[in-house]
Amino acid sequence: MSVSSDIHGQYRGSRGALFALALKVALLTLITLGLYRFWGKTRIRKYIWSSTVGDGDAFEYTGTGLEKFLGFLVAVVVLALYLGIVQMLLFFGGLNYGFDPATPEGALALNALIYINLLALAPLIFYATYRARRYKMARTRWRGVRFGMEKGAWGYALRAIGYTLLTVVTLGALLPLSSFKLEKYMADRSYFGDARFEQHGKWTALYGAAKHLFFGLAVVLLSVGAGAALQAPVLLGGGVLLGYIWLAVGVVYYRVHAFRYMAAHRTLGDEITFTAQPTTGEVIKIYIFGTLIISLILGVLIFIGVALFTAAMSMVGTTSMAPVFTLMGVLYVVALLLSGAMALIFITQPTIAHFITTFTVHRAEALNAIQQRATETGVDAEGFADALDIGGAI
Amino acid sequence: MLEADGSFFDGSSAAKHKVTLRLDEARGFLTFDGEALAQPEEWPLAELRLLRDQPTGGWLTFALHIQGEDETLHHAARLSCRDGAMNAALRRAAPNLTRRDIHKGIGLRVVTKLTLAVVAVLAMIFVILPAMATSLAYLMPREREVQFGQAVVNQMEWFLSGERTGDLACTNPEGLAALAKMEARLTQGREMDYDLDIKVFDHSMVNAFAAPGGQIVLLRGLLDKATSAEAVAGVLAHEIGHVENRDATIGALRAAGSAGLLSMVLGDFSGGTLAVLVTEHLISTSHTRKAETLADDYALKALAHAEVSSEGLATFFDYVIERQGQGPSLPAYLNSHPPSQARAAKSRGFAATQQATSPVLTEAEWAALKAICD
Repeated sequence: MSVSSDIHGQYRGSRGALFALALKVALLTLITLGLYRFWGKTRIRKYIWSSTVGDGDAFEYTGTGLEKFLGFLVAVVVLALYLGIVQMLLFFGGLNYGFDPATPEGALALNALIYINLLALAPLIFYATYRARRYKMARTRWRGVRFGMEKGAWGYALRAIGYTLLTVVTLGALLPLSSFKLEKYMADRSYFGDARFEQHGKWTALYGAAKHLFFGLAVVLLSVGAGAALQAPVLLGGGVLLGYIWLAVGVVYYRVHAFRYMAAHRTLGDEITFTAQPTTGEVIKIYIFGTLIISLILGVLIFIGVALFTAAMSMVGTTSMAPVFTLMGVLYVVALLLSGAMALIFITQPTIAHFITTFTVHRAEALNAIQQRATETGVDAEGFADALDIGGAI
Repeated sequence: MLEADGSFFDGSSAAKHKVTLRLDEARGFLTFDGEALAQPEEWPLAELRLLRDQPTGGWLTFALHIQGEDETLHHAARLSCRDGAMNAALRRAAPNLTRRDIHKGIGLRVVTKLTLAVVAVLAMIFVILPAMATSLAYLMPREREVQFGQAVVNQMEWFLSGERTGDLACTNPEGLAALAKMEARLTQGREMDYDLDIKVFDHSMVNAFAAPGGQIVLLRGLLDKATSAEAVAGVLAHEIGHVENRDATIGALRAAGSAGLLSMVLGDFSGGTLAVLVTEHLISTSHTRKAETLADDYALKALAHAEVSSEGLATFFDYVIERQGQGPSLPAYLNSHPPSQARAAKSRGFAATQQATSPVLTEAEWAALKAICD
């Protein structure tokens, strides 16, 4: 394996350009009462994709806002029918057979029912997850060649429900099995051009990545047990806090190291392999730094807002409050718009950049033999994911 | 002729071709040639497109516009160039570089799908869910509905008293007797679906409400402000209308069914929560306005049957108008109740058509009812 045939990921996006784009998109979304969000998300993706570079060649996102909007329309009708009917029947059933609303506990359970019906959404959420990934793959190109993914959303939903139940029943002990199998299911159905990805490796290997999850959990449980037994609230509180922090770091560690393992054991075609070397420390650093900066800027804004409010109050007196409240409303919306755009440039983009710049493709000369794949039909946009609001910032 | 190096991907394989770009402005073409190409390629400048939302920093990727199935209406081939002078020249020379191409006939498809979706969601909110709520309300076992109603009344009591253990029900025996007489007068000889359970809560608010399962609560403020026993009887008849129409149960079921639908449709954006709240308010008021009108109709029928003048109900609406006059009035579509002027006029008009009426309570009984909380 010669060094010259390795391709190292590069990221070319800048804070300023993405911030301007994100702010513009957020404003248009606000003005259009949310309608522009499909076009907005597409534009943000186009920017991030085309900032992702391998061997000097940028990725391309070819999705369109319009197809996303149309996909959403279909999904929203299906979901409105499904949700409305299921929710009402659950409430009715709960009222009739389950709970006695005369007791506070029963009334509480009845209210909880409305939230429990989110469980009715679980199959749809998994279905939507696969469809969203398939759509993004089908709309991604590099070196002029399409990525793609086979159909299989219902198969994924079925497996995801099974593995998730298994994870819950074993109190998380089988989480690596669930993560590995589900990722393998998606990876094995993915293509770049006519070359297929394949996921190798063993699910048990992910226990190494998951170790800090279990340590953190153990610390929480031990300190609760020991603190309760010894009647020592300080031990209990301190231990639980430590355990939670450990657990949070453990989540990041798991994601990062599972990603490394999966990438190291993935192949494209017969020859091409990958190395991913993101680090937990860097991801946490980005998160803490980003959160601090955003809080600082929002803090200054809130301070200005309060100062303006006080000044306005003393000037106009209490007779005409309307302009004061308008001002407060405008400041509130500005803060909302800004915080979304800032989260994108201070947390999302640096994290993506970190994952990309630590990614290497080996034996890249084999890429030259990869042929284009046909346009896939029936890749409806990720309407369900949009309607269910999954998929996060991008 | 301007020349620059670039990379070309032919769209049929992932192989990368080093090419030399030449801008031939006289003929209106961007031509490029390289070792791997059998012959020089020529892209008309008018069909040249720059991919959207690329980062700054030198590299730009171009594509060729075609009519076809491709989602972007670009040919699958890509050309990228990092030469600043060439990119600047192309921005100037290619007339449609940043044009947004859209598929033919897409407008019609958008309109069709949008119309279908809007109609479906509106049908869901205004037809299917209300119809389903009504059917389910009639299916609900009576004792369950009564239990549910008690929970609602209890919650109201906690809310009004400001504490969980508050007991607001007024128990003066003469007052209760007067209330029972009023109830008997209004329901006598009428077929009732529910056994009524009427309470008075010791609270200064001028209001009354009907909970699921036949429970009605009058607030003391209403008795204080009422100018006659007939006004109270009118309001009570109106609430009995709500009970018999099962409005509270239907409303609760409908709310459970439509929870979250709007936030799904409108989505999560800055200020979206406000839009969702406003729309939800508009929808729920349109539902309740209809229910209020039906309850008014029921009240007038009940008053006529009991031979109680509906003039009393009219005076209650007069009171509401008078109070509304002090504040800014809401447009009808924002208000959960029909305009009070129309309701007062309707009651008054109905009173004029009533033949023999008699007082609903004696002077002494009316005084006892007003003192029910003492």
